[in-house]
Formats: sequence, C-alpha cells, structure tokens
Amino acid sequence: MSILPADVMVRFDQVGRRFPGGNDALSGVSFELKRGEFAFLTGHSGAGKSTLLKMMMLMDRPSRGRVVVDGHDLSTLRSGQIPYHRRKVGVVFQNHQLLFDRTVYDNVALPLQIAGYSPIDAARRVRAALDSVGLLGKEKRNPIELSGGEQQRVGIARAVVNKPALLLADEPTGNLDPELSEEIMNLFLRFQQVGVTVLIATHDIALIERMGHRRLILEHGQLVQGGLPTEETVYGA
Amino acid sequence: MARNTESSTRSAGRVRVDPGPTLGAKQHRIGKRAQMSAWLANHQLVAIETLMALLARPMASILTWFVIAIALTLPGALWMTLDNIEQLSGRFQESGRITVYLQPGSEVLAGQALSDRIAQLPNVVTTDFISAEDALADFRETSGLQAALDLLPENPLPAVILVEPPLALSGEPLDTLLATLRGYSLVDTVQLDMAWIDRLMAMLVLGQRMSVVLGVLLSLAILLVVGNTIRLAIAARVDEIRVVKLVGGTNAYVRRPFLYTGLWFGFVGGLISWVLLTISWWLLSGPVSQLAGLYSSQFSLKPLSAVAALTLLLSAMLLGWIGAWWSVSRHLYRIEP
Repeated sequence: MSILPADVMVRFDQVGRRFPGGNDALSGVSFELKRGEFAFLTGHSGAGKSTLLKMMMLMDRPSRGRVVVDGHDLSTLRSGQIPYHRRKVGVVFQNHQLLFDRTVYDNVALPLQIAGYSPIDAARRVRAALDSVGLLGKEKRNPIELSGGEQQRVGIARAVVNKPALLLADEPTGNLDPELSEEIMNLFLRFQQVGVTVLIATHDIALIERMGHRRLILEHGQLVQGGLPTEETVYGA
Repeated sequence: MARNTESSTRSAGRVRVDPGPTLGAKQHRIGKRAQMSAWLANHQLVAIETLMALLARPMASILTWFVIAIALTLPGALWMTLDNIEQLSGRFQESGRITVYLQPGSEVLAGQALSDRIAQLPNVVTTDFISAEDALADFRETSGLQAALDLLPENPLPAVILVEPPLALSGEPLDTLLATLRGYSLVDTVQLDMAWIDRLMAMLVLGQRMSVVLGVLLSLAILLVVGNTIRLAIAARVDEIRVVKLVGGTNAYVRRPFLYTGLWFGFVGGLISWVLLTISWWLLSGPVSQLAGLYSSQFSLKPLSAVAALTLLLSAMLLGWIGAWWSVSRHLYRIEP
C-alpha cells in the first residue's frame, strides 16, 4: 500500500492512454494537485486535455499508470462505485450539458435528487448555488431562454451544488466573449477560495496570463510544464 | 476530516490513511435511514411522474396500450369461453349414467331382481328398473306415435335398468363395472352415456392447452412491443441519461423510470383488456341466456371473476415490467457520458 500525503487531491502517476489503432492521447503524464489548489490545463486542441479530465471522472480509464483522486486509486473502483465517485467531483462543460425539458432549478437540483437529498434540504442548496452564480431570480426559467453566459453559470451551479471537493471544467469559456469569460473565471476563483480544488482546461492563453495561476501544459499527450519531475514520480510502487 | 477517514478506511483501494487537515469543501453525508426514505420517496416520485407522463400524452402510447390489451383479450376470451363450457359440462355430468338393456322377453320380476342386485354393487349409487310395458307407455306418451305403436303386434322395446355410478367414476373401476354388467345372462347390451362427455372433456383440455399456447405467444408479443416502446423512450432521453450518469446517477436510478413506464403500460393495457372482456360478456350474455332459455336451461354466461381480473391485471403489469427490463438491460448500458 502506498501512502500519499493528505493534502494531495489529485495525483497522476505515469498515466498513458492509447486508443485502439495505436494513437497515444496521453503518455507518461505525472502531476499533483494539492487540496484547494487552482490550476489551468492548456495545450493545443487534441493535446489530450479532455482525456485527462475524463479520467478523473472515470469517463475514461488509463491504459497505463495510476490516477488517484481524493485518496482513492480509481483503477480499484468497481463499476458500481463509479456513480458515488462522480458525486464527489463537479464538472463543467463547454456545451454545459443542460437539460432543456426542465427549469433552471430542476437542472441544478438533479445531482441532489440523485444523491437522495430531501426536497427541503435540496431547495436550500439549489438557492445557495444559484445565488453564488448570480442567477437566483431565474430559477423558474427554462435554460433555453438564457444567454450563453447564463447557461454556463447554470452548469457551474449544478457542478457545485453538491459541494464537491474537486471542480473540473472543460473549456468553460469556449463560447463566450472575453468579458464574460473573465466573469466565469472569477466565479471559479471564488469556489477555490472556499476550499474547492479547481482544474480548468482552456486554450484561452490571454485570459490565463492575465489571471496568473499554476499552469499544466500538454503537448501531444505529454505534460511539458507543471508536472512532477520524473525521478520521484512513483510513490512506493 | 471525518469524511475522508471514513471513506478511505472503507475503500478497498485506499491509498492514504492519515487524516489530514480540513481543506476541501465540506460535503454533506446522508445517513442510512435518510437514504432509505429518500430511495422510497424517489420510487414514489418516479411512479407518479411516469404515469403522469403517459397520461399527459395518451396518443403517443395508445397504440402500445391497445396492442397489449388485444394480446391479453384473445387468450382471456378463450379462457372465459372454456370456463363457461366447463360449467355447462358440469351440469351434464348428471346424465353420465349407464343404460342396461335386457334380453327381449325378460320377466319383469327377474328384471326387478337384477336391478336390486346391481344396486348392491360397489360404484353404483342407484338403479332404476323400467319394464318393457312402462317403457312403451312412456314412449307412447312422449313420441306422439300412438297410432303407429298400436299397429305393432308386440312390444318392440326391451326392459331397461338405468344405473347411476358416482359422478367422478372413470377409468378402470368404470370398466370393471361395465364388464360386470355385461356378464349377467339377462343383459343384452350395456351403453355408457358418458362417452360424449369424455369427448367434450378432452376437447376442453385441448382448448385449455391452446389458450396457454396462445397466451405464451401473445405474452412474447407484449414483451416485444413494450421492449420496443421502451427502446424508443430511451433513445429520446439519451442526453438526460448521459447527464444523470455524469452527476452520479446509479444504473438503478437511470433504469427506474423506464421500469415504471413498462409497469404502467402493462397496467393500462390490462385495464383496457378487462374492459374489452367485460363488454364482450355483456354483449353475449343476453343472447346466450335467450338460447339457454329455449333449451329450458338456467345456464347463463359467467363474467370474469375478481380473481381472474386481478390475475389478468397483475400478469399484464409483470409482462410490461419484464419487457422494459429486457429493453433497458440491452440499451441502457451502452449510454455512457
């Protein structure tokens, strides 16, 4: 059994992902995210950003190496445990994955309903989440009536409503103008300030440089900046 | 940080054992009892929601309901018919008796004595001796051939002993009885009036077997129809299923609404089938009573009993549920975020 320091939220050890056909989406990726850390993941399109995020959600599994999230080696989780792992991780997508057959409120309440919260408890949390993204007045609207930036904030509210320890975002500002993008990024920063570990995949270099946080840079599936030095990559293996 | 200690000691693949300082956001933990009541509440919610969804757009599911209803009504109607014929044949059991014709010219006293002897045999309830004269008198009265009979030089009718065996008598004991009766020197021929009832019974058994075969085939049809309907429902909700799985919905959670939908399909289909059977009964019972009246019979068409109606409804729901389960297990696992 290997022991990781308690303050490590995410740990990748020599992670590789080879797709059928021999195409390496990721190879030899090792890095750590401390609890409460805020980092950007960048790289050209097709560099493996999405694949890396998906592994933390168990939407994909590594071909080689090990992924540890919140103290759990994800390769040891049985398929029945995957839903419970996903409840601990909030995720935001570029296309926000909202459901247009229900209200903003119901979209945000979905994770709580699944986790079995009582309606009263859920209502309090949904309002708090909507309040934190500035959409408290629009809970009864259908997300299709909202602007792109507002839809993205509904997606963020849904990702944080369950108070996850880890918040992931895949190109959350991809469709937004610079001003709205900065607003969204500031929202993520606020969650980091209350202790959430945040990792944001983006290719908006200008924005990243203005904000100046830790950067992980992927190039052709390899981490070229922000990773662990190779000599101490494997703990006790 | 209590939460992490708890989760890491529980997990098989634990990596870190030392509890660290509180860093991550606090996550709400739900107790077992609250989880149970939430689970029940979700079942209740899903049951009501899926029923409402079906009733909100009845035109979308009306075809499925009627296919289920008709598939149930066909074997149901056959079963109802057979049940009624059985009731009818039960009444005819009374006439399942043995007619023993005596040699022509037998003495009345000898015949009477034989009748008394037969009455003492095992497997005989009663006997009734009808002398040749009584038979002729009876025939003269009922046939209306009085004039013709008067022309005959002698009585053409033999004396008869009517033997009534117990109702359920059949097989070897019956054959033994018949052989004994044929053995008496005074006896000319022995006729068993139950033969036609045996044939009727055999046909009833055949009919019942046919209704079972029909029922099984049409049950398969119901499974296919519900399965296909659920497959379309799944296809229409792929996005929702992806999102639900993404935010931590278990397979059971994703499955639940589809299983309830199947259950409701069966329920509504079963209900319609019951209505169809009741209407058929109502339409037929008048003419059947009239027909029975012409035969001076008290026979009337039985409606579907409460037990049969409940069985119909429950098996319809079960079929709907199985059809949904079959479809869900084939299609749902392919949808991953």
